[in-house]
Amino acid sequence: MNNQWLAFFQGIIFVKVEGQGAERFINRLIRSRVPIWQVSRQSEQAITFSCSLQHIHKVRREARTFEGEIRFYRGEGFPFLLKRLWKSSGFVVGLVAFFVVILLLSNIVWRIDIGGASPKMEHQIRKELASMGVEKGRFIFGMDDPETIQHKLLNQIEGLTWIGVEVKGSTFHFRVVEKNEPKEKKKNGPQHLVAAKEAVVVKLFVKKGQATVKRDQFVHKGQLLVSGFIGTEEKVREVAADGEVLGETWYKTTVEMPITTEFQVLTGRQVKKHMFEVQAFRFPIWGFKSHSFANYKKDEQVHSVSFVGMKLPINYVEKTYYESRRTSRSYTEKEAEQQALAIARGDLESKLPEKAEIRGQKILQRQFTNGKVKLSIHFQVLENIAVGKPITQGDKENARRKERNEHPARKSE
Amino acid sequence: MTKKWGEQMRSWLTKSLNLPEDVMMDLPRITMIGQLHIYIENHRGLLAFSDKEVRLMLTKGQLLIKGQSFTIKTILPEEILIEGKIEKLVYLDG
Repeated sequence: MNNQWLAFFQGIIFVKVEGQGAERFINRLIRSRVPIWQVSRQSEQAITFSCSLQHIHKVRREARTFEGEIRFYRGEGFPFLLKRLWKSSGFVVGLVAFFVVILLLSNIVWRIDIGGASPKMEHQIRKELASMGVEKGRFIFGMDDPETIQHKLLNQIEGLTWIGVEVKGSTFHFRVVEKNEPKEKKKNGPQHLVAAKEAVVVKLFVKKGQATVKRDQFVHKGQLLVSGFIGTEEKVREVAADGEVLGETWYKTTVEMPITTEFQVLTGRQVKKHMFEVQAFRFPIWGFKSHSFANYKKDEQVHSVSFVGMKLPINYVEKTYYESRRTSRSYTEKEAEQQALAIARGDLESKLPEKAEIRGQKILQRQFTNGKVKLSIHFQVLENIAVGKPITQGDKENARRKERNEHPARKSE
Repeated sequence: MTKKWGEQMRSWLTKSLNLPEDVMMDLPRITMIGQLHIYIENHRGLLAFSDKEVRLMLTKGQLLIKGQSFTIKTILPEEILIEGKIEKLVYLDG
Protein backbone atom coordinates (compact mmCIF):
# COMPACT_ATOMS: atom_id res chain seq x y z
CA MET A 1 0.00 0.00 0.00
CA ASN A 2 1.14 3.49 -0.69
CA ASN A 3 2.46 5.44 2.19
CA GLN A 4 -0.15 7.93 3.31
CA TRP A 5 2.47 10.40 4.42
CA LEU A 6 4.23 10.30 1.12
CA ALA A 7 0.88 10.87 -0.53
CA PHE A 8 0.28 13.82 1.76
CA PHE A 9 3.53 15.42 0.66
CA GLN A 10 2.83 14.78 -2.97
CA GLY A 11 -0.70 16.08 -2.60
CA ILE A 12 -4.03 14.34 -2.78
CA ILE A 13 -6.86 15.30 -5.11
CA PHE A 14 -10.50 14.46 -4.63
CA VAL A 15 -12.39 13.64 -7.82
CA LYS A 16 -16.08 13.41 -8.45
CA VAL A 17 -17.24 11.32 -11.39
CA GLU A 18 -20.77 11.78 -12.64
CA GLY A 19 -22.43 9.79 -15.34
CA GLN A 20 -22.95 6.24 -16.46
CA GLY A 21 -20.10 3.82 -16.24
CA ALA A 22 -18.08 5.45 -13.50
CA GLU A 23 -16.69 1.97 -12.75
CA ARG A 24 -15.30 1.77 -16.24
CA PHE A 25 -13.55 5.02 -15.72
CA ILE A 26 -11.96 3.67 -12.54
CA ASN A 27 -10.94 0.50 -14.35
CA ARG A 28 -9.28 2.52 -17.02
CA LEU A 29 -7.43 4.52 -14.41
CA ILE A 30 -6.11 1.51 -12.58
CA ARG A 31 -5.07 -0.05 -15.85
CA SER A 32 -2.94 3.02 -16.49
CA ARG A 33 -1.44 2.36 -13.04
CA VAL A 34 -3.05 5.11 -11.00
CA PRO A 35 -3.58 4.04 -7.39
CA ILE A 36 -7.00 5.13 -6.19
CA TRP A 37 -8.22 5.49 -2.65
CA GLN A 38 -11.47 6.13 -0.88
CA VAL A 39 -13.91 5.22 -3.62
CA SER A 40 -17.47 5.70 -2.47
CA ARG A 41 -20.77 6.08 -4.19
CA GLN A 42 -22.52 9.34 -3.58
CA SER A 43 -25.67 8.70 -5.58
CA GLU A 44 -26.89 6.56 -8.45
CA GLN A 45 -24.88 8.60 -10.85
CA ALA A 46 -21.94 9.87 -8.89
CA ILE A 47 -18.78 8.34 -7.44
CA THR A 48 -16.05 10.12 -5.58
CA PHE A 49 -12.48 9.00 -5.15
CA SER A 50 -9.10 10.40 -4.37
CA CYS A 51 -5.72 9.90 -5.92
CA SER A 52 -2.27 11.38 -5.85
CA LEU A 53 -1.70 14.79 -7.36
CA GLN A 54 1.13 13.50 -9.51
CA HIS A 55 -1.35 11.39 -11.49
CA ILE A 56 -3.64 14.29 -12.33
CA HIS A 57 -2.48 14.31 -15.95
CA LYS A 58 -3.37 10.63 -16.38
CA VAL A 59 -6.79 11.29 -14.86
CA ARG A 60 -7.31 14.19 -17.26
CA ARG A 61 -6.24 12.09 -20.23
CA GLU A 62 -8.72 9.37 -19.33
CA ALA A 63 -11.39 11.95 -18.68
CA ARG A 64 -11.20 13.11 -22.29
CA THR A 65 -12.69 9.91 -23.55
CA PHE A 66 -15.21 9.61 -20.76
CA GLU A 67 -18.75 10.63 -21.53
CA GLY A 68 -19.70 11.74 -18.03
CA GLU A 69 -18.54 14.70 -16.06
CA ILE A 70 -15.43 14.81 -13.93
CA ARG A 71 -14.62 17.38 -11.33
CA PHE A 72 -11.66 17.89 -9.07
CA TYR A 73 -13.43 19.29 -6.09
CA ARG A 74 -10.82 19.35 -3.38
CA GLY A 75 -7.11 19.21 -2.83
CA GLU A 76 -5.24 18.21 0.26
CA GLY A 77 -1.65 17.94 1.25
CA PHE A 78 1.51 19.85 1.08
CA PRO A 79 1.33 21.43 -2.40
CA PHE A 80 -2.11 22.78 -1.63
CA LEU A 81 -0.97 24.10 1.71
CA LEU A 82 1.85 25.85 -0.06
CA LYS A 83 -0.55 27.29 -2.55
CA ARG A 84 -2.76 28.59 0.19
CA LEU A 85 0.25 30.00 1.96
CA TRP A 86 1.32 31.68 -1.25
CA LYS A 87 -2.12 33.16 -1.64
CA SER A 88 -1.90 34.67 1.80
CA SER A 89 1.78 35.44 1.40
CA GLY A 90 1.16 39.09 2.08
CA PHE A 91 0.11 38.17 5.55
CA VAL A 92 3.12 35.94 6.11
CA VAL A 93 5.51 38.54 4.75
CA GLY A 94 3.88 41.11 7.00
CA LEU A 95 4.29 38.86 10.01
CA VAL A 96 7.97 38.25 9.31
CA ALA A 97 8.54 41.91 8.54
CA PHE A 98 6.86 42.85 11.79
CA PHE A 99 9.20 40.68 13.82
CA VAL A 100 12.22 41.84 11.88
CA VAL A 101 11.29 45.47 12.43
CA ILE A 102 10.63 44.93 16.12
CA LEU A 103 13.93 43.08 16.43
CA LEU A 104 15.81 45.86 14.71
CA LEU A 105 14.10 48.56 16.72
CA SER A 106 14.82 46.70 19.96
CA ASN A 107 18.48 46.85 19.16
CA ILE A 108 18.67 50.54 18.50
CA VAL A 109 19.60 53.08 21.10
CA TRP A 110 16.51 55.11 21.82
CA ARG A 111 17.57 57.12 24.77
CA ILE A 112 20.68 58.08 26.61
CA ASP A 113 20.07 59.10 30.17
CA ILE A 114 22.79 60.86 32.04
CA GLY A 115 22.14 61.45 35.68
CA GLY A 116 24.10 63.28 38.31
CA ALA A 117 26.17 65.40 35.97
CA SER A 118 26.34 69.12 35.60
CA PRO A 119 25.10 70.44 32.25
CA LYS A 120 28.65 71.05 31.12
CA MET A 121 29.75 67.58 32.09
CA GLU A 122 26.69 66.08 30.45
CA HIS A 123 27.47 67.85 27.22
CA GLN A 124 31.02 66.61 27.36
CA ILE A 125 29.90 63.05 28.01
CA ARG A 126 27.45 63.18 25.13
CA LYS A 127 30.14 64.45 22.82
CA GLU A 128 32.51 61.72 23.91
CA LEU A 129 29.80 59.10 23.49
CA ALA A 130 29.02 60.35 20.01
CA SER A 131 32.63 59.99 19.03
CA MET A 132 32.51 56.43 20.35
CA GLY A 133 29.43 55.73 18.25
CA VAL A 134 26.98 55.65 21.10
CA GLU A 135 24.23 57.86 19.82
CA LYS A 136 20.50 57.90 19.49
CA GLY A 137 19.36 55.80 16.56
CA ARG A 138 22.49 53.67 16.27
CA PHE A 139 22.60 49.90 16.48
CA ILE A 140 23.72 48.43 19.75
CA PHE A 141 25.51 45.60 17.92
CA GLY A 142 28.39 47.70 16.81
CA MET A 143 28.99 49.28 20.17
CA ASP A 144 31.40 48.41 22.88
CA ASP A 145 30.07 46.67 25.91
CA PRO A 146 29.18 48.84 28.92
CA GLU A 147 32.42 48.11 30.72
CA THR A 148 34.53 49.28 27.83
CA ILE A 149 32.43 52.40 27.48
CA GLN A 150 32.90 53.05 31.15
CA HIS A 151 36.66 52.67 30.90
CA LYS A 152 36.89 54.90 27.87
CA LEU A 153 34.77 57.61 29.45
CA LEU A 154 36.78 57.53 32.62
CA ASN A 155 39.99 57.80 30.65
CA GLN A 156 38.84 60.50 28.27
CA ILE A 157 36.95 62.86 30.49
CA GLU A 158 38.73 64.82 33.14
CA GLY A 159 36.92 65.48 36.34
CA LEU A 160 35.03 62.25 36.26
CA THR A 161 35.45 60.14 39.36
CA TRP A 162 33.15 57.33 38.50
CA ILE A 163 30.54 56.59 35.90
CA GLY A 164 28.05 53.78 36.03
CA VAL A 165 26.98 52.45 32.66
CA GLU A 166 23.91 50.33 32.35
CA VAL A 167 22.08 49.19 29.27
CA LYS A 168 18.41 48.55 29.84
CA GLY A 169 16.77 47.38 26.67
CA SER A 170 17.30 50.22 24.26
CA THR A 171 18.26 52.84 26.81
CA PHE A 172 21.67 53.71 28.11
CA HIS A 173 21.76 54.91 31.68
CA PHE A 174 24.78 56.76 32.91
CA ARG A 175 25.24 57.66 36.50
CA VAL A 176 27.95 60.17 36.98
CA VAL A 177 29.97 61.09 40.02
CA GLU A 178 32.01 64.18 39.40
CA LYS A 179 35.26 64.95 41.03
CA ASN A 180 34.68 67.52 43.68
CA GLU A 181 37.20 70.27 43.52
CA PRO A 182 38.95 70.35 46.83
CA LYS A 183 37.09 72.81 48.97
CA GLU A 184 38.63 75.00 51.58
CA LYS A 185 40.18 72.79 54.14
CA LYS A 186 37.99 72.23 57.07
CA LYS A 187 39.07 74.14 60.07
CA ASN A 188 40.87 71.56 62.02
CA GLY A 189 40.77 71.41 65.74
CA PRO A 190 43.96 72.20 67.55
CA GLN A 191 46.71 69.94 66.35
CA HIS A 192 50.41 69.33 66.24
CA LEU A 193 52.41 68.33 63.24
CA VAL A 194 54.44 65.18 63.73
CA ALA A 195 56.82 63.27 61.51
CA ALA A 196 55.29 60.55 59.35
CA LYS A 197 58.56 58.70 59.00
CA GLU A 198 62.21 58.86 59.74
CA ALA A 199 63.82 61.70 57.89
CA VAL A 200 66.28 64.50 57.93
CA VAL A 201 64.55 67.87 57.96
CA VAL A 202 65.52 69.88 54.92
CA LYS A 203 63.10 72.71 54.93
CA LEU A 204 60.57 74.03 57.40
CA PHE A 205 57.65 75.99 56.19
CA VAL A 206 55.39 76.81 59.07
CA LYS A 207 52.18 78.70 58.54
CA LYS A 208 50.88 78.32 62.03
CA GLY A 209 52.35 76.96 65.16
CA GLN A 210 55.75 76.78 66.67
CA ALA A 211 58.53 74.81 65.07
CA THR A 212 60.28 72.47 67.44
CA VAL A 213 62.88 71.09 65.04
CA LYS A 214 65.64 72.68 63.04
CA ARG A 215 67.08 72.16 59.60
CA ASP A 216 69.30 69.12 59.08
CA GLN A 217 67.91 67.57 62.22
CA PHE A 218 67.16 63.88 62.16
CA VAL A 219 63.64 63.07 63.27
CA HIS A 220 62.05 59.79 64.24
CA LYS A 221 58.63 58.68 63.26
CA GLY A 222 56.02 60.42 65.39
CA GLN A 223 58.36 63.10 66.63
CA LEU A 224 56.84 66.52 67.17
CA LEU A 225 57.73 68.90 64.35
CA VAL A 226 55.45 71.86 64.80
CA SER A 227 53.72 72.41 68.10
CA GLY A 228 50.16 73.64 68.25
CA PHE A 229 50.82 75.61 71.44
CA ILE A 230 51.67 79.21 70.95
CA GLY A 231 52.02 82.17 73.22
CA THR A 232 54.25 82.44 76.16
CA GLU A 233 54.23 81.71 79.80
CA GLU A 234 50.79 81.61 81.32
CA LYS A 235 48.91 82.47 78.20
CA VAL A 236 49.21 79.39 76.13
CA ARG A 237 46.87 79.14 73.18
CA GLU A 238 46.09 76.11 71.15
CA VAL A 239 46.06 76.41 67.40
CA ALA A 240 45.89 74.02 64.51
CA ALA A 241 49.50 73.84 63.50
CA ASP A 242 49.82 74.10 59.78
CA GLY A 243 52.69 73.98 57.39
CA GLU A 244 55.05 71.77 55.47
CA VAL A 245 58.11 70.08 56.69
CA LEU A 246 60.18 68.79 53.82
CA GLY A 247 62.37 65.97 54.87
CA GLU A 248 64.75 63.70 53.12
CA THR A 249 63.63 60.13 53.34
CA TRP A 250 65.15 56.92 52.08
CA TYR A 251 63.77 54.05 50.15
CA LYS A 252 65.52 50.87 49.28
CA THR A 253 64.17 48.84 46.44
CA THR A 254 65.31 45.83 44.49
CA VAL A 255 64.43 45.21 40.87
CA GLU A 256 64.94 42.20 38.75
CA MET A 257 64.69 42.29 34.99
CA PRO A 258 65.50 39.78 32.28
CA ILE A 259 68.08 41.03 29.80
CA THR A 260 66.32 39.52 26.82
CA THR A 261 62.55 39.72 26.63
CA GLU A 262 60.32 38.05 24.12
CA PHE A 263 57.07 39.66 23.28
CA GLN A 264 54.50 39.76 20.56
CA VAL A 265 53.77 42.68 18.31
CA LEU A 266 50.79 43.01 16.01
CA THR A 267 51.56 43.29 12.34
CA GLY A 268 48.34 45.15 11.57
CA ARG A 269 46.79 42.45 9.46
CA GLN A 270 43.46 41.25 10.76
CA VAL A 271 40.51 39.05 9.83
CA LYS A 272 37.02 39.72 11.11
CA LYS A 273 34.28 37.16 11.51
CA HIS A 274 30.66 37.71 12.34
CA MET A 275 28.41 35.03 13.64
CA PHE A 276 25.24 34.29 15.52
CA GLU A 277 25.44 32.22 18.61
CA VAL A 278 22.54 30.12 19.83
CA GLN A 279 23.58 28.46 23.04
CA ALA A 280 26.59 26.38 22.08
CA PHE A 281 26.11 26.61 18.33
CA ARG A 282 27.59 29.33 16.21
CA PHE A 283 26.39 30.19 12.76
CA PRO A 284 28.82 32.26 10.77
CA ILE A 285 27.08 34.96 8.78
CA TRP A 286 30.03 36.83 7.42
CA GLY A 287 33.74 36.27 7.13
CA PHE A 288 34.07 32.62 6.12
CA LYS A 289 37.70 32.87 5.18
CA SER A 290 39.95 31.21 7.68
CA HIS A 291 42.84 33.30 8.77
CA SER A 292 46.26 32.01 7.78
CA PHE A 293 48.18 33.59 10.60
CA ALA A 294 50.77 31.50 12.34
CA ASN A 295 50.66 33.64 15.43
CA TYR A 296 47.62 35.62 16.26
CA LYS A 297 45.64 37.25 18.97
CA LYS A 298 41.95 36.69 19.18
CA ASP A 299 39.50 39.31 20.24
CA GLU A 300 35.92 38.33 20.77
CA GLN A 301 33.02 40.64 21.33
CA VAL A 302 29.65 39.24 22.24
CA HIS A 303 26.58 41.40 21.82
CA SER A 304 23.31 40.04 23.08
CA VAL A 305 20.24 40.47 20.93
CA SER A 306 17.19 41.71 22.73
CA PHE A 307 13.60 41.65 21.70
CA VAL A 308 11.22 44.18 23.24
CA GLY A 309 13.44 44.48 26.27
CA MET A 310 13.87 40.74 26.68
CA LYS A 311 17.19 39.14 26.06
CA LEU A 312 16.95 36.52 23.36
CA PRO A 313 19.08 33.40 23.72
CA ILE A 314 20.89 34.60 20.64
CA ASN A 315 24.15 36.46 20.67
CA TYR A 316 25.84 38.32 17.92
CA VAL A 317 29.53 37.55 18.04
CA GLU A 318 32.26 39.52 16.40
CA LYS A 319 35.63 37.82 16.28
CA THR A 320 38.77 39.55 15.22
CA TYR A 321 42.04 37.79 14.61
CA TYR A 322 45.08 40.00 14.68
CA GLU A 323 48.23 38.67 13.20
CA SER A 324 51.12 38.92 15.60
CA ARG A 325 54.83 38.44 15.35
CA ARG A 326 57.29 37.38 17.96
CA THR A 327 60.17 39.68 18.52
CA SER A 328 62.78 39.66 21.13
CA ARG A 329 64.58 42.55 22.66
CA SER A 330 67.91 42.25 24.34
CA TYR A 331 69.91 44.79 26.21
CA THR A 332 73.53 45.10 26.91
CA GLU A 333 74.38 45.01 30.57
CA LYS A 334 74.65 48.72 30.70
CA GLU A 335 71.33 49.28 29.01
CA ALA A 336 69.66 46.66 31.17
CA GLU A 337 70.89 48.40 34.23
CA GLN A 338 69.51 51.70 33.05
CA GLN A 339 66.19 50.15 32.17
CA ALA A 340 65.92 48.46 35.54
CA LEU A 341 66.75 51.71 37.20
CA ALA A 342 64.09 53.53 35.23
CA ILE A 343 61.55 50.89 36.15
CA ALA A 344 62.41 51.11 39.81
CA ARG A 345 62.21 54.87 39.67
CA GLY A 346 58.86 54.81 37.94
CA ASP A 347 57.62 52.33 40.47
CA LEU A 348 58.64 54.48 43.35
CA GLU A 349 57.23 57.64 41.79
CA SER A 350 53.86 56.04 41.39
CA LYS A 351 53.87 55.18 45.08
CA LEU A 352 54.96 58.58 46.32
CA PRO A 353 52.65 61.55 46.71
CA GLU A 354 52.63 63.97 43.83
CA LYS A 355 54.75 66.65 45.42
CA ALA A 356 57.53 64.32 46.43
CA GLU A 357 60.72 64.55 44.49
CA ILE A 358 63.42 61.98 44.02
CA ARG A 359 66.64 63.72 44.80
CA GLY A 360 69.17 61.06 44.23
CA GLN A 361 69.78 57.42 43.75
CA LYS A 362 72.54 55.05 44.35
CA ILE A 363 72.95 51.54 43.16
CA LEU A 364 74.00 49.51 46.12
CA GLN A 365 74.35 46.18 44.44
CA ARG A 366 74.20 44.82 40.93
CA GLN A 367 74.12 41.23 39.86
CA PHE A 368 73.99 39.65 36.45
CA THR A 369 72.87 36.08 36.74
CA ASN A 370 70.86 33.69 34.57
CA GLY A 371 70.27 36.34 31.94
CA LYS A 372 68.80 38.65 34.52
CA VAL A 373 69.93 41.85 36.05
CA LYS A 374 69.24 42.36 39.70
CA LEU A 375 69.70 45.76 41.28
CA SER A 376 69.18 47.03 44.72
CA ILE A 377 68.87 50.78 44.75
CA HIS A 378 68.82 53.40 47.40
CA PHE A 379 66.71 56.46 46.69
CA GLN A 380 66.74 59.75 48.44
CA VAL A 381 63.40 61.42 48.34
CA LEU A 382 62.31 64.87 49.35
CA GLU A 383 58.80 64.86 50.65
CA ASN A 384 56.46 66.40 53.12
CA ILE A 385 56.73 64.42 56.30
CA ALA A 386 54.37 66.48 58.42
CA VAL A 387 51.10 64.93 59.47
CA GLY A 388 48.51 66.41 61.77
CA LYS A 389 47.95 65.01 65.22
CA PRO A 390 45.07 66.39 67.26
CA ILE A 391 45.93 67.80 70.67
CA THR A 392 44.22 65.87 73.40
CA GLN A 393 43.43 66.95 76.88
CA GLY A 394 46.33 65.00 78.27
CA ASP A 395 48.72 66.74 75.95
CA LYS A 396 47.64 70.09 77.23
CA GLU A 397 48.23 69.16 80.83
CA ASN A 398 51.64 67.85 79.96
CA ALA A 399 52.46 70.96 78.04
CA ARG A 400 51.52 73.19 80.88
CA ARG A 401 53.58 71.28 83.28
CA LYS A 402 56.45 71.35 80.90
CA GLU A 403 56.15 75.08 80.41
CA ARG A 404 56.25 75.68 84.11
CA ASN A 405 59.18 73.39 84.65
CA GLU A 406 61.12 74.85 81.81
CA HIS A 407 60.30 78.41 82.66
CA PRO A 408 62.76 78.92 85.49
CA ALA A 409 65.41 77.08 83.56
CA ARG A 410 65.15 79.42 80.67
CA LYS A 411 65.26 82.40 82.95
CA SER A 412 68.50 81.26 84.45
CA GLU A 413 70.14 81.23 81.04
CA MET B 1 -7.52 -28.59 -26.43
CA THR B 2 -4.02 -27.25 -25.80
CA LYS B 3 -5.34 -24.77 -23.25
CA LYS B 4 -7.05 -27.47 -21.33
CA TRP B 5 -3.97 -29.61 -21.41
CA GLY B 6 -1.90 -26.73 -20.16
CA GLU B 7 -4.30 -26.09 -17.33
CA GLN B 8 -4.25 -29.71 -16.29
CA MET B 9 -0.51 -29.66 -16.38
CA ARG B 10 -0.39 -26.59 -14.18
CA SER B 11 -2.89 -28.05 -11.73
CA TRP B 12 -0.81 -31.22 -11.50
CA LEU B 13 2.34 -29.23 -10.98
CA THR B 14 0.91 -27.18 -8.15
CA LYS B 15 -0.36 -30.25 -6.42
CA SER B 16 2.78 -32.26 -6.76
CA LEU B 17 5.21 -29.42 -6.03
CA ASN B 18 3.07 -27.88 -3.30
CA LEU B 19 3.04 -24.44 -4.91
CA PRO B 20 0.49 -21.73 -4.03
CA GLU B 21 -2.48 -22.02 -6.34
CA ASP B 22 -3.10 -18.30 -6.76
CA VAL B 23 0.30 -17.87 -8.31
CA MET B 24 0.19 -20.90 -10.51
CA MET B 25 -3.40 -20.82 -11.63
CA ASP B 26 -4.15 -17.11 -11.72
CA LEU B 27 -6.85 -17.36 -9.07
CA PRO B 28 -7.91 -14.56 -6.76
CA ARG B 29 -6.55 -14.55 -3.24
CA ILE B 30 -9.13 -13.19 -0.86
CA THR B 31 -8.34 -12.08 2.64
CA MET B 32 -11.13 -11.07 4.96
CA ILE B 33 -10.88 -9.53 8.36
CA GLY B 34 -14.14 -10.35 10.04
CA GLN B 35 -16.85 -8.45 8.28
CA LEU B 36 -14.84 -5.23 8.18
CA HIS B 37 -12.35 -5.60 5.40
CA ILE B 38 -12.00 -7.66 2.30
CA TYR B 39 -8.77 -7.70 0.39
CA ILE B 40 -8.74 -9.25 -3.05
CA GLU B 41 -5.60 -9.85 -5.06
CA ASN B 42 -5.55 -10.82 -8.67
CA HIS B 43 -8.80 -9.23 -9.77
CA ARG B 44 -9.30 -8.11 -13.32
CA GLY B 45 -11.26 -4.94 -12.87
CA LEU B 46 -14.26 -3.30 -11.27
CA LEU B 47 -17.58 -4.04 -12.92
CA ALA B 48 -20.06 -2.38 -10.60
CA PHE B 49 -19.73 -0.48 -7.41
CA SER B 50 -22.28 0.86 -4.99
CA ASP B 51 -22.45 1.04 -1.22
CA LYS B 52 -24.32 -2.25 -1.06
CA GLU B 53 -22.70 -4.27 -3.82
CA VAL B 54 -19.33 -4.65 -5.50
CA ARG B 55 -18.84 -6.75 -8.59
CA LEU B 56 -15.34 -7.66 -9.60
CA MET B 57 -14.09 -9.26 -12.78
CA LEU B 58 -11.87 -12.30 -12.27
CA THR B 59 -9.81 -14.30 -14.72
CA LYS B 60 -12.64 -16.76 -14.80
CA GLY B 61 -16.06 -15.51 -13.88
CA GLN B 62 -16.98 -12.74 -11.46
CA LEU B 63 -17.03 -12.11 -7.74
CA LEU B 64 -20.02 -10.47 -6.14
CA ILE B 65 -19.67 -8.95 -2.69
CA LYS B 66 -22.78 -7.85 -0.87
CA GLY B 67 -23.04 -5.89 2.28
CA GLN B 68 -23.51 -2.36 3.55
CA SER B 69 -21.80 1.00 3.32
CA PHE B 70 -18.95 -0.06 1.10
CA THR B 71 -16.05 2.17 0.26
CA ILE B 72 -13.00 1.12 -1.69
CA LYS B 73 -10.04 2.07 0.45
CA THR B 74 -7.49 1.37 -2.23
CA ILE B 75 -7.67 0.06 -5.71
CA LEU B 76 -4.58 -0.90 -7.65
CA PRO B 77 -4.24 -2.75 -10.97
CA GLU B 78 -4.45 -6.17 -9.28
CA GLU B 79 -5.45 -5.45 -5.72
CA ILE B 80 -8.52 -4.02 -4.08
CA LEU B 81 -9.30 -3.30 -0.47
CA ILE B 82 -12.94 -2.81 0.41
CA GLU B 83 -14.19 -1.55 3.72
CA GLY B 84 -17.72 -1.82 5.04
CA LYS B 85 -19.95 -4.51 6.43
CA ILE B 86 -19.55 -7.62 4.31
CA GLU B 87 -22.45 -10.03 4.33
CA LYS B 88 -22.13 -12.26 1.28
CA LEU B 89 -19.52 -13.40 -1.13
CA VAL B 90 -20.77 -15.02 -4.32
CA TYR B 91 -18.83 -16.48 -7.26
CA LEU B 92 -20.63 -16.06 -10.55
CA ASP B 93 -19.47 -18.35 -13.30
CA GLY B 94 -19.07 -16.57 -16.55
